[in-house]
Amino acid sequence: MDISFALTGKGYVIVAADTTAAHSIIKVKLDEDKIKTLSPHLLMAYTGEPGDTVQFAEYIERNIRLYQIRNIYALRPPSAASWIRRSLADSLRSRKPYSVNLLLGGYDTSTHTPHLYWIDYLGTLASVPFAAHGYGSYFALSLLDRYHDPEASLEEGLATLRRCIDEVSKRLIVSPGKYKVKVVDKDGVRELDF
Amino acid sequence: MSRSYDRALTVFSPDGHLFQVEYALEAVRKGTCAVGVRGQDVVVLGVEKKSVLQLQDPRTVRKVAMLDDHVCLAFAGLTADGRVLIDKARIECQSHRLTVEDPVTIEYITRHIATIQQKYTQSGGVRPFGISTLIVGFDPHDVKPRLYQTEPSGIYSEWKANAIGRSSKTVREFLEKNHKDGMSRDDAIKLTVKSLLEVVQTGAKNIEISVMESYGKITSLDLSQIEAIVADIEREKEAEAERKRSRLAATAAGQAAMMQRTGESSGQ
Amino acid sequence: MARRYDSRTTIFSPEGRLYQIEYAMEAISHAGTVLGVLAKDGIVLAAEKKVTGKLLDLSSAKQGGYGGSGEKIFLLNSNVVAGVAGITADANSLVNYARQAAQRHLYLYNEDIPVELLAQRLCDLKQGYTQYGGLRPFGVSLLYAGYDPHYHFQLYHSDPSGNYSGWKATCIGANNGTAQSLLKQEYKDDITMEDAIGLVLRVMSKTMDSTTLGSEKLEFATLTLDPATKTPKAKVYRPAEVDALLEKQGLGKKDEDTEMRAT
Repeated sequence: MDISFALTGKGYVIVAADTTAAHSIIKVKLDEDKIKTLSPHLLMAYTGEPGDTVQFAEYIERNIRLYQIRNIYALRPPSAASWIRRSLADSLRSRKPYSVNLLLGGYDTSTHTPHLYWIDYLGTLASVPFAAHGYGSYFALSLLDRYHDPEASLEEGLATLRRCIDEVSKRLIVSPGKYKVKVVDKDGVRELDF
Repeated sequence: MSRSYDRALTVFSPDGHLFQVEYALEAVRKGTCAVGVRGQDVVVLGVEKKSVLQLQDPRTVRKVAMLDDHVCLAFAGLTADGRVLIDKARIECQSHRLTVEDPVTIEYITRHIATIQQKYTQSGGVRPFGISTLIVGFDPHDVKPRLYQTEPSGIYSEWKANAIGRSSKTVREFLEKNHKDGMSRDDAIKLTVKSLLEVVQTGAKNIEISVMESYGKITSLDLSQIEAIVADIEREKEAEAERKRSRLAATAAGQAAMMQRTGESSGQ
Repeated sequence: MARRYDSRTTIFSPEGRLYQIEYAMEAISHAGTVLGVLAKDGIVLAAEKKVTGKLLDLSSAKQGGYGGSGEKIFLLNSNVVAGVAGITADANSLVNYARQAAQRHLYLYNEDIPVELLAQRLCDLKQGYTQYGGLRPFGVSLLYAGYDPHYHFQLYHSDPSGNYSGWKATCIGANNGTAQSLLKQEYKDDITMEDAIGLVLRVMSKTMDSTTLGSEKLEFATLTLDPATKTPKAKVYRPAEVDALLEKQGLGKKDEDTEMRAT
């Protein structure tokens, strides 16, 4: 039931995820943060099987941090994406695979470019200008096709995100009430009031 | 020397020595000096830095390593051993966070490092780590600065101030004389630099200082800052020497006057 | 090398020294010189070959960037070239390990391995051989010339103890003291590739025993950025290319030598 969106713009990536933690048809919690900051310039939104998501996200978080402490510099977004994909692909072929879908947004400080990756539990990795997971994707992708602009300012990007969220609220039966929105750019990661 | 007891394996000699461990300590004594000093709410790590050669890249000559956001380590002894041990400690820091969600306490990571070092004194076919370490940091949710030391034997201990490496005995004695409880940030830094100057003759350019002021807040001083502190210390020394000289001169003058008086009196 | 020293584990001497490492370093100081110079737009690596002979067949020198004759200079990954000094057999196994480490990194992260990380991987292995029982250390020092997006062009040196450090210009093997001081005098920051090539060849010609340089005594490699793709481009010179380069630099063989070889 989780919904997450992400889109790139001029020098930034916006990542948004709903904040509902559900169990069966019950909303257990309304302020769950489903976006982890993996390194100063890397964000990951995770959706999927509730226990798996947190377990996997924490595993990724600690390993990315270890890489940074060992090497002073952090993994660049493309490398981090490859490593995360590899972890999921290995997990898929293990006895108990993680059922986790991810959106990975990052800013590469050495080339000064934003990166966004769509990753699913089967180990698919795609570098994309915008992305969504969950039921939201049925509504958002066509809107993003129409309105996404890679050169958009942050305000314009947020307006496009607003369109997606509004559409989901309007049309989806089980639409979530709240979203957390984070952005990563040259200054790092920060949360936005939305 | 009892040849067969200090070779091949770390085993007891008849008089109860573990020679390989003692020899490893010799390797530590050959290493560059490192000093740790605890202040009221700050802990300072100072290391003697070998001069960077003209064509060398200074970035790759590092003596202080971060283990996690809130833990720093300096070592004395074999550099390659240090790198390997640091790597093991870094893994443990993240692994600990992953299992219990909390960052390591300084005592925990110290004990972990010491345990590894101990294992290498008792396992088959390995030599001990040729390094001692100083570990500094703050425990999570705590304001008390920490300073620990580990040795090749696997011994670890907590200190108010301590030194390892070359001439560490001299430095430790200096610290014992001059350390006061509850020092301010500046005083702690100054004491660290001062104690390093006991062994580092070449001054600021061969000294590296890292200061941890609270959980996760680490700064390393740049050369100009250290130079300023060294200059400050030298000025103080100068003033002290000047005072001493004038005092000596005064007493000498007094004595001379006395002599003269006695001479005059005896002459009469 | 001195057999009687090889029979024991690497352990501390009473003065806290590891003699095995020191002996290994001694072995390296007799090995063929390897020299590296970091320029602002690339790196130059040159090495003195020890295995020579009139009948040595170098015609099978590999294509595709590998070049050389497989004695001193090796391509470790598309972004790293290394020169080795010391026991050649040990070096071969280290080179193999390095190539695997680089490929493992590529497999996991889909990027060329950062140069320092590759040096660290090898140093961890080398350190292990100074601490775990029953083995002797690797009798090899390496110079790594590489490029990565983090620190751009880099030159590292690693020794048998498992220490490494970064350099602007350095030298390992026989006569490294002479070469080092020559480099110190002549190296300038912001040196261009062309000047660096000249510097390397000049220093090599001064440190090598023979009076003339030629492809049978010299291996040579450069690492630059491809101007079109901005990706690192390693070039290990093939014997004929080395001779051509020496010719161009005016350090080639005298006519009589060539004649002698022709006959």
